[in-house]
Amino acid sequence: MVSVAITRIRQGHAPFAGLVWTLIRTDFKTRYHGTIGGFVWALLKPLTMFLVLLAVFSYVFASDPQYKLDLIIGLFVYEFFQESTKAGLLSIRAKGYLLTKARFPSWIVVVTSASNAVITFGLFSVVLVMFLALTHRAPSVTAVALYTIYQVLFFAIVAGFSLAASVLFMRYRDLNQVWEVVTHAGFFVAPIIYPIGIVPERMHPYLYVWPPTPVILFSRSVLVDGHVPSVFAHLLLLAEAAIVLGAGAMIYRARAPRVADEL
Amino acid sequence: MRHIVIQAAAVSKMFTIPSSRRETVREHALDLFRRRRLERLRVLESVSFELRQGESVGLMGRNGSGKSTLLKIIAGIYPADSGRVDVHAAVTPILELGVGWNPDLDAIDNIELLGTVMGMTLKELRGATSEILAFAELEKFAHLELRHYSSGMAARLAYAVAFRAVREILILDEVFAVGDAGFKERCQQRYRDLHHAGHSMLLVSHEPRTIAAFCDRALLLEGGRIVFAGPAETVANRYLELLTEDSSAAQPQIR
Repeated sequence: MVSVAITRIRQGHAPFAGLVWTLIRTDFKTRYHGTIGGFVWALLKPLTMFLVLLAVFSYVFASDPQYKLDLIIGLFVYEFFQESTKAGLLSIRAKGYLLTKARFPSWIVVVTSASNAVITFGLFSVVLVMFLALTHRAPSVTAVALYTIYQVLFFAIVAGFSLAASVLFMRYRDLNQVWEVVTHAGFFVAPIIYPIGIVPERMHPYLYVWPPTPVILFSRSVLVDGHVPSVFAHLLLLAEAAIVLGAGAMIYRARAPRVADEL
Repeated sequence: MRHIVIQAAAVSKMFTIPSSRRETVREHALDLFRRRRLERLRVLESVSFELRQGESVGLMGRNGSGKSTLLKIIAGIYPADSGRVDVHAAVTPILELGVGWNPDLDAIDNIELLGTVMGMTLKELRGATSEILAFAELEKFAHLELRHYSSGMAARLAYAVAFRAVREILILDEVFAVGDAGFKERCQQRYRDLHHAGHSMLLVSHEPRTIAAFCDRALLLEGGRIVFAGPAETVANRYLELLTEDSSAAQPQIR
């Protein structure tokens, strides 16, 4: 009888904190490589994007001041989703040069791949809350806390997707193109440019399955409308995050041990 | 007797040849009802050996004999298809180090990336950066992005990091084939120091003199199997015989 081979390694506590920090730091540095004052640009990007969109939409949608904010939140949430899932999908291939050098858990490179998108989105959120405060619509502490919880759950969804997609991408080498088409189509599934009210109510549950939809709607609701969604709606988002993260982790666990074979 | 740090029992490994494998969503969709025969290449077949604390064991064999795959399985990078590998101490592998850096980052950032992957803490790394750069003789190029490095410079940097990151067991693939005479001498000296300090080593080399000089005993791999094991010098000679047999068999007979 042959036992299944597992390389059993007994070693002390691996300093993964150092690895996580180095991956985040070097990803950031690589992204803003060659730009004047890289960090300043990283800070300015969400701020300038916000101001440009605000100026344009204020002009185009002058009659509906609420719509421009809804649109901006929708665009930034969706951009975070698009950018982080793309980076997650490509992460193991992109960091393959490290994975063939030593043994360490590859989920670290998957989860940290979203760091640039998280930084941009985090800065946007700060700019948004500051803008609301300056225009006398400061959200309550509860609203900001709920908004933060939605983004944490959204990150869990992105992490779940990335864990699965990064290992599947090693097997299905055109998965990135398929995902690109899905996210482009998904832009119109999520109620970013249109209000969800124009879609028949019986279709709403289907729209909510697409993760950006509840995150966009709930974020607008607490920050702009000052209205807290129902407990049931929160539980649905929580369940969605748990299911995607759980399924992603299972697919990752099943395929990750053989990832180096396919690099 | 010194205790066992690595025990490999009946380790086998096959690779699927990529050209025979469906690799895209499109191919899977188009070939949904068609069975495709996969071509598989057996790289290791029932390989068993052990490494004891403080031992230096050499691994010889021709290209494609399975040496590097065996090292990667021991390092935990590849899983084996069957068999079992028990590793009882932390392994630092020095494999394929000439390639695979982040070309947009300078030497210092790349040292941190590779060092943390190899299990060093940031504090240890920051304290060791100048020593690593000095070992690789690259102090002057510390802030130069890796895209501007020659392959030799990049390999020297990698070996310098890996030699500094050694914890208990060191696994090396063709380490003394890099750099100029001075760098080779520093690598060899570092190897001797680590060996004397009681580290266990597994060393792959095509160079019989290297195996004879740096290993206590050695294994000869041929076609994915261990065909000979014994004192390092004897294995090195057997390896030379294997190469000579091959070249004489290849020569046309003179009548």
